[in-house]
Amino acid sequence: MTSTKPQKLWLPYLVALLGGLLTFLLAYLFWLDAQANDVVMNALEVYLPWLTLLFGATISLLLAMMTRVAQLAKQRAVTVDKINNDLKREISERIQAEETRQKLEIALLQGHKLQAMGTLASGIAHDFNNLLYAIIGYVEMARDDVEKGTLVHGNLGKVLEASHRGQELISRILSFSRRQHQHFAKMNLNDTIEAVLCLLIPTIPASVAIEFKAENTTFIIGNQNQIHQVFVNIINNAIDAMNGEGIIQIILSSITTDDPLLSQFPDTQHHRRNYCKIEIKDNGQGMDQVVLERVFEPFYTTKEVGKGTGLGLSIVHSIVKDHHGVIRVESQKGQGTTFMILLPEQ
Amino acid sequence: MATILLVEDDNLVRDMLTQILERAAHKVMSAIDGEQAAELLRKNIPDILITDIIMPKKGGISLISEVKNRHPNMEIIAISGGGRLNPIGYLDLSESLGASISFEKPINNNALLMAIDLLLHKHKEMV
Repeated sequence: MTSTKPQKLWLPYLVALLGGLLTFLLAYLFWLDAQANDVVMNALEVYLPWLTLLFGATISLLLAMMTRVAQLAKQRAVTVDKINNDLKREISERIQAEETRQKLEIALLQGHKLQAMGTLASGIAHDFNNLLYAIIGYVEMARDDVEKGTLVHGNLGKVLEASHRGQELISRILSFSRRQHQHFAKMNLNDTIEAVLCLLIPTIPASVAIEFKAENTTFIIGNQNQIHQVFVNIINNAIDAMNGEGIIQIILSSITTDDPLLSQFPDTQHHRRNYCKIEIKDNGQGMDQVVLERVFEPFYTTKEVGKGTGLGLSIVHSIVKDHHGVIRVESQKGQGTTFMILLPEQ
Repeated sequence: MATILLVEDDNLVRDMLTQILERAAHKVMSAIDGEQAAELLRKNIPDILITDIIMPKKGGISLISEVKNRHPNMEIIAISGGGRLNPIGYLDLSESLGASISFEKPINNNALLMAIDLLLHKHKEMV
């Protein structure tokens, strides 16, 4: 930040010049007028103690003022220094946040791409496996009907061989697309949730508020993209359930091995460890029992045609399972919905 | 010899499997999806139900849970060509719902015929 005010560098020179002129004028006056000199000298003699006092007080005051000015100047220098450092830190934090955001966006995009590729690959695999199965079945029957050792028998054997190679190729493509999704590493759950909110908040209506409360910093072993997807899906569903107005609360807390909550979930009993609990509550329209029972079912959706695939929450369910976690949903029509996820803590 | 209800939406696979099963001296009824299968099951009770998982209208998963409710003793074989989401997950699910055995397509037909024989044998022993 630069000051636009001119510094008035001439001001101290002007003060010195005025002082000098005044002194010179007085000296010149005494010099010219000897009588005035005597009057002044007499007066000085009479008032000497008072004048000494005045002189001393003035000098002390001047010194005090100079000290204070020096102090203020130093204080200001320190403040300026602090502001400068704060600014530097803020700038570097912002740059870092922007870099993290960009990295996350790229990762998310990559995740979406891989997911799309995986879906495509498994879709193709499904149809292709059907075709291969028909080819193999018919050829096997035809082969049984011809005499062994004939050219037709041999050629049909080649068709079978080629079909089995096709089968291997499909399973290789499938295992590749699945492996892409399964890179697990230690991750900070608080950061992940904050990053998700960072990405989502600009896209949601201003009348929907999102609150995130965390008791402490939580680490889990997981796949960043998949955990991202879990939160994006649940929060997006909550936003859709709000009709443009309401509040979504995300509460992250830790629960220990002996917590009675864990005994409600047999799956958590295999791994005796601490879990983290993530609750995502909305005060939207809620769900009735019929919808609630089918909520994690693949291809089940209550959204209008073209708005939802019905895959979101089934993917959420399978991701949480892959992370050795559990997910539970509670909801009442008109009362809102709460998703609770338990994931093993690192 | 057994009476088998084959539920498969793919024409080629259905026709091929029908031929394979008939060659092994089984009697085959076939349906193109879960709904048609449920219709057939109202009039006929087969020994074994062989069903695909992903089908239009009514899929294999709901058919299996329905059949297990109405005919708890019927043997069920689930077959799938790799699900749109996670093929193994679907087959696991079908087994936990009551399918005796599941196969991922392309299936080794000899293994399928052996499984049918084993299930029939087990079924007779139970009766």
